Amino acid sequence: MPLPMFKPPEEQPKRTANRIAHTVAIAAGKGGVGKSSITANLAMALQRAGYSVGVMDTDIYGPSIRQMLPEEQMPEQIGEMLVPAISKGIKVISMAYFRQPGEATAVRAPIANGMVTQFIKNVAWGNLDYLLIDFPPGTGDIQLTLTQQANLTGAIMVTTPQEVALMDVRKAANLFHQVNVPILGVIENMSYYQPTPSSERVYIFGKGGGKHLALEIGAPFLGSIPIDPEICQCSDNGKSLFLDQPVQPPAAQAFIDVAQQVVAHVTTLNRISKECLSSFNLIWKEMP
Amino acid sequence: MTTEPPVLIKSISQKDNHTFTIEWSDGICNDYRLNLLQKNCPCAKCFDVSTNQQRIGTPPVDEDVRAKRITNVGRYALRVEFTSGCSTGIYSYAMLRKLSNTQTQVKQQ
Repeated sequence: MPLPMFKPPEEQPKRTANRIAHTVAIAAGKGGVGKSSITANLAMALQRAGYSVGVMDTDIYGPSIRQMLPEEQMPEQIGEMLVPAISKGIKVISMAYFRQPGEATAVRAPIANGMVTQFIKNVAWGNLDYLLIDFPPGTGDIQLTLTQQANLTGAIMVTTPQEVALMDVRKAANLFHQVNVPILGVIENMSYYQPTPSSERVYIFGKGGGKHLALEIGAPFLGSIPIDPEICQCSDNGKSLFLDQPVQPPAAQAFIDVAQQVVAHVTTLNRISKECLSSFNLIWKEMP
Repeated sequence: MTTEPPVLIKSISQKDNHTFTIEWSDGICNDYRLNLLQKNCPCAKCFDVSTNQQRIGTPPVDEDVRAKRITNVGRYALRVEFTSGCSTGIYSYAMLRKLSNTQTQVKQQ
């Protein structure tokens, strides 16, 4: 049974203090580029690397994280607080827990916004190294609420290589610039298809779109994720792409590489705030 | 996690009419002469990605070229507004570090 969203005030206990080291938005501005699958696999890669990870699925109208990260433990509502679900050691909250499978969330924007605000303020995450927020597509009300209230460390832009996708991702990147949320980097999803490790890579949707976007918006390029049937099968079946062995399949390795880049750039961002220039404008002067 | 965080700019200042200095986050300081930077302009009009070389026929760079301003592009690169010639190039920090290494090696030879 889905959980109710509210309980009477008399049952509400005290709020639990959350200690979240880094909150990272996974955004694109566009639907269908693979934000949720990137979020789920990045979460697993980070968790495998020893970090405590949480995932907040803020796609109220089309939540898909639950399918990819099926719960071993359902979320629990204690008073006004929600204890997140647990999947593969990752804490997860999603609208999918509050609806029957196949049931549409037919609510207007202010209600949807209120639900996201509840996810931001009323989830008992506890201690987390990384909270990944899977953004819904677009640059509207929910996205603005998240950028204003979720105390974001930075944002990761997900794109596919073709220009049609890049157009929307540029707009989403611009949103983050407008609200001064640093962009951690760009991940290019569905970059290429390689039938076997020895065969040539086929760039089905074009080559270099993600790198070009990264250069254009002045953000690091975090890596490429190939088109791989394994990713699709694992996501559909809620299974992990990662093996319990040092040598990983190519798709899993791609996520491990991206996770390393994310950690490196988050570390850098932390350093920036202390000692490096996040922006500068050097006006040239005539010198004697 | 073995990946080193990328190197960033700690400070940037004008050295003389043709040169600016960057102090990188790892403590290294490099001088960049504006005409050399423009000769290595990475924009699509000046640089051919397929040959990995500057395009033949790009206008000659004025040895006396100066800057109007230098601004950051995100956390990753900078853009120089030159007084003449091409100003559309985005100079990534990685490229600037590579350029300074090349210049140092040339000096050592």
